[in-house]
Amino acid sequence: MHNGDFWSLLKTNGYKLGPGTLPEGREPIESKIALTQGTTIFGLKYKEGVLVAGDRRATAGTTVMYDRTDKVLEIDRHSVMAIAGVPATAFEIARVMEHTFKYYRRSQLQELSLEGKVRALSKLLKENIPMAIQGIGAVAPIYAVYDVARKEGKLFFYDILGAGFEAVEFTTSGSGSPAIRGILQYENRWGKRPLAELSEEAAITLTMRLLETAAEFDAATGGSNREAHLYPVIKLVTMEGVREIPQKTLESLYSRNVVGRSTAGEPGLGIG
Amino acid sequence: MVYDEPYRWVEAVRNRRDYLEEQLSAGSPIVALPYENGVLMATLGAGTSKLYEVYDQIAFGGIGHPADLEKLRNVVLDAAHVEGFNRSPVDVTVRRLMKFILAPMVKQAFEEVLHAPYIAKIVMAEIGILSGKALFFHLNYDGVFEEQERGVVLAPTAPMSERMAAFLNAAGETHSVSLKEALQIALRTWAVSQLPTDLEAEKEAGAPPTPKELDPLLKRSLESHTLEAALLDRTQPGSSKYRTLSHDEIEQALKGWLK
Repeated sequence: MHNGDFWSLLKTNGYKLGPGTLPEGREPIESKIALTQGTTIFGLKYKEGVLVAGDRRATAGTTVMYDRTDKVLEIDRHSVMAIAGVPATAFEIARVMEHTFKYYRRSQLQELSLEGKVRALSKLLKENIPMAIQGIGAVAPIYAVYDVARKEGKLFFYDILGAGFEAVEFTTSGSGSPAIRGILQYENRWGKRPLAELSEEAAITLTMRLLETAAEFDAATGGSNREAHLYPVIKLVTMEGVREIPQKTLESLYSRNVVGRSTAGEPGLGIG
Repeated sequence: MVYDEPYRWVEAVRNRRDYLEEQLSAGSPIVALPYENGVLMATLGAGTSKLYEVYDQIAFGGIGHPADLEKLRNVVLDAAHVEGFNRSPVDVTVRRLMKFILAPMVKQAFEEVLHAPYIAKIVMAEIGILSGKALFFHLNYDGVFEEQERGVVLAPTAPMSERMAAFLNAAGETHSVSLKEALQIALRTWAVSQLPTDLEAEKEAGAPPTPKELDPLLKRSLESHTLEAALLDRTQPGSSKYRTLSHDEIEQALKGWLK
């Protein structure tokens, strides 16, 4: 009788994900109202695990709605989900995920398997397909886990219909992502060292530079702002668990390695 | 027999009380108390686990029939998770779970004499997220519950419970003791349950049992039982504060004392 399925428990309590679908024949409202969107998230595997980051801007059309969005959400001790797309749905999905894993662990007295966690997000995205294809609730998340048993970080990305893919070295999503995808590939292939060998500090520096670059080419991506003490959200998923990089650290790394032209600017040698 | 006459009903309830007391009499006690980082729960058992995580900041322990304990635990889990999702994790409190869900359910089952009662006694503990203060609840098989800010004892029989609680009280305020000290107090309190009953007279003379009397009993019990200890540890990263003590941590705590 009891299989630890939090989603069914929610549904028996009358819960529905997102707003109801539009009535037959009704046009999607996308053309009339600009929806709030979150952009540019990415993840990469570095020396000690996985780094996941996101800029902090949420936009509706050409309006900046909010500049302090946290798009990298802690799901459990060893996993985070980064969200690109409509926050209304994305935050809700993250909340369901968090409770799903807790509920499974507590009711079944064992941790949900890695495959089970990856599938759980697929299932939620599938629930959201009606919204996504009507253009009013598309979410394309990244899910990063540290697999404690195998002692390695894992990185997954999803399309809006719920297909999950495993990223080998890095992945990125959101409207700012095309601007940095090529850089990541270049760094990984021809940089001083492959991404997987980067130290924590080098990985954070690269991350801040990448998001700065994305902000340069994508209006929906926010950059860092020193006056406002505004920096991207960067979370590390390692053997020890999830850790957020404190603003102080970001501030000093930004001043040292991101502003202006650093010494590590030779071609192909972006990060030391 | 017809139970709907008042006299018969009272008699039936009395029978059921006797039956439950007998069913529960072999259970191993559970001790829960505050310590510097949160809450410690400990027990010695012969196999089946007795301590569980209910929610981010709430732990559950029980003695009784395993199937009944599972049923009650799952009811509490479901309620906690739906509430935590729909409102907020800080709205999930041990007080609400006990007063509005668990206790009424157990009481109803106990009094419906034509149906089986729950063979279970339960202890629940919380480290308040907002208040930062530990809170304990103790639930009897008939639905009677007690709220405590100091530690609590869950023992199979009332006299045993009384003796253990007296010992725990004599240990004084434990809010600022270290984990190692808390574990010592918890285990010695547990060992009180192993004292031969003829020591009752000594207890009445005033002094609580001494470590000298208790430690050998405890040492012997540890040879045949496994120690189970769980924490609600405020210093844990992330939202979930429950964790079980590892084998190494237990060894470390017992070193130079029992081993």
